[in-house]
Amino acid sequence: MSDTAATLTQDRQKLEMAALSAPAVIFTIAMIAFPVVYTIWLGFQTFSSTGKQTFAGLANYTKLMSDVEFWHGLWITIALFVLSLVLQLVFGVWLALVLFHAKRLPGIVRSLFISPFMMPPVVAGMMWLVILDPSLGAANYILQSLGLPPSDWLASPTWVIPTVALIDSWQWTPYVALIVLGGLQSLPPSVYEAAQIDGASAFKTFQRITLPLLLPTIVTAAILRSVDLLRFFDIIYITTQGGPGNASNTLNIYGFRVGFEFFNIGYASALMLTLTAIVFGAVLAFNRLRGAVAW
Amino acid sequence: MKARMLATRVALPVLAIAAVSAQARAAEFDWMKFKGKTVTFLANNNPVSQALLTYKADFEKLTGMTLKVDGYQEQQMRQRLVTVMNANSDEVDVFMTLPSREGEQFAAAGWYGDLTAMAKNEVAKDYDPAGLSQALLKAATFGGKLTSMPMNIEGPIFYYRTDIFKKCGLEAPKTIKDVEAAAEKIKTCDSTVTPFVSRGLKPAIAYTFSNMLHNIGGTYIASGKSSLCSAKGKEALDTYSRLLRDFGPPGVVNYSFQQISALYRGGRAAMAFESSNELRTVMEGGARLKDTGLLPFPAGEAGQVPTTIGWGMAVSSHSKQPDAAWYFVQWATSPEVQKKMALQGIAPPRPSVAKDPEYRKWIDEEPVRKEWQAALDVLATKGSSEVGYPIVANPQSREFIGQAVQDLILKQKTVDQACADADKALDALIALN
Repeated sequence: MSDTAATLTQDRQKLEMAALSAPAVIFTIAMIAFPVVYTIWLGFQTFSSTGKQTFAGLANYTKLMSDVEFWHGLWITIALFVLSLVLQLVFGVWLALVLFHAKRLPGIVRSLFISPFMMPPVVAGMMWLVILDPSLGAANYILQSLGLPPSDWLASPTWVIPTVALIDSWQWTPYVALIVLGGLQSLPPSVYEAAQIDGASAFKTFQRITLPLLLPTIVTAAILRSVDLLRFFDIIYITTQGGPGNASNTLNIYGFRVGFEFFNIGYASALMLTLTAIVFGAVLAFNRLRGAVAW
Repeated sequence: MKARMLATRVALPVLAIAAVSAQARAAEFDWMKFKGKTVTFLANNNPVSQALLTYKADFEKLTGMTLKVDGYQEQQMRQRLVTVMNANSDEVDVFMTLPSREGEQFAAAGWYGDLTAMAKNEVAKDYDPAGLSQALLKAATFGGKLTSMPMNIEGPIFYYRTDIFKKCGLEAPKTIKDVEAAAEKIKTCDSTVTPFVSRGLKPAIAYTFSNMLHNIGGTYIASGKSSLCSAKGKEALDTYSRLLRDFGPPGVVNYSFQQISALYRGGRAAMAFESSNELRTVMEGGARLKDTGLLPFPAGEAGQVPTTIGWGMAVSSHSKQPDAAWYFVQWATSPEVQKKMALQGIAPPRPSVAKDPEYRKWIDEEPVRKEWQAALDVLATKGSSEVGYPIVANPQSREFIGQAVQDLILKQKTVDQACADADKALDALIALN
């Protein structure tokens, strides 16, 4: 077979492969792109409370800038994000260190440590709603048994965000711990041996060796948790529905209510696209940070 | 004279012919007409639909149709409905609806099929559409179109512990002032119980608050403007929030029917203002069966104007088989099925069922059931279906009512500030109507 004929056969094979895989590729792209494009299109529409739809241009985005509820929701979202992320990273690293060093810990105990994140958030929300009920729940019973004053937990505008952050951290800290544990297991032992020879204390070893080497892993865990935390919905919807008042009304909860309770799908789409942009922004920022701490 | 002659010679024969033709149609009615079809029912997974769907097989046997049930919790059901209707999809044939909440909105959006003609012409002999609660049928009629058929009758009623009242030397309250006085006395007489509990969760407040507002003599709208800042409006806001703040459980701002029923059933509340539908839940385990009294909510300056609502069954305007869908609606709201549901504790929207001997026997088995039925009779005769503002954006109006009450429970605003802020937001909603 001549070179020209061989090239023609190869080109034909490539074409055939492209043609055969095209339907699957087009279907996949369409499935990803359609909801996004449709939401962008909806963001340019207004829906009256009777469902009547009109093109509104950027009106939804202009409205968003002057919407007190939007700014309040953004503030609540950021507060919850920062508080939960800090708690989960700190306790996640701690739990990972405990699991790493307690090598003789039975498998069942290790499984128990990481079991909360396997629980559906709705179940976790219902469970904590009952535990934290100021009248009927076990939390206040325990506090009072210890001689401490009871708390209103989820019913207090002041404490609702820390309480929700605690619930989320209870559920997701083990997930962070699992990622960090993987990172710990991949650290080079030679560095630790050198530190030991130099007489470094356990704290110094952690501060100067473990933590810097773990940073890329910790940032990866932070990226994964950030996406979820900025879209915080399920636990709040189950426990407070954004209350008391608007004290836990995150952007996602606000957008849901605007769309599905007040039927303003256009404005809700604008809110959700703005939230998506914030999530993308956070992921990009963390990605840059990961690049900076890589070793 | 001419008018009387016209009535005798023209109108009466026409009515007679109409009656005869309706009877003839009823005689021709064939439950098997749509045999082989599948009807999709979007259901709220609440006690009403649960009781109804116990008899799903009976419907399928009677009609030869298949009933496909798409069941969700209340808010998720609405979420699904919004998606389906905005897409003009025919996926749903029949859906459950609360006319008092979303009736104006769904009717204006054109989501309800018009049942007026079908309820008149396409009925089985024993259906008796006139036997359904006229108040509920009226509440489901928008722009002259009948949009849903009532499945049940319900409203908030007053549950109180007769043993605690007796211990504290109290009589059953007759007025709202009596409720406040009883709460005050119970607080000192028995510190182990919560004196009073009602809904404090923001979107749920309007259901119980509306009853208090109407009893006090207030209205939501006066001269086209929101009137929460009227003297009666302020009194209602102040009384409702004060009862919950001073005599309610800690954390009441997160309380809806689940928490209230649990608290009362557990013997930890002396008075509860909660839905009549919760009777079965409250009586579970039997602990409250002998020590509970039930009343419509005690009177205010305007007497008793209880809140009376009911779930309805609507046919989707996008359904491709509205006639078959109507057969399901008709079966589900027929006297026979509603009697069966009543025996499961679903209050019937038909006075004839409420008088049925078998149902009366069930009622007479327990004194608390008698009081429950007596309260429901008052709801049926005196009730108002106004829960929140009678505007298209009713669900949103409930948010602002709830916000005002929560601001007062949490002492974040004065009554004047809370009502003024709510009125401002509500006037904007009314203007959109």
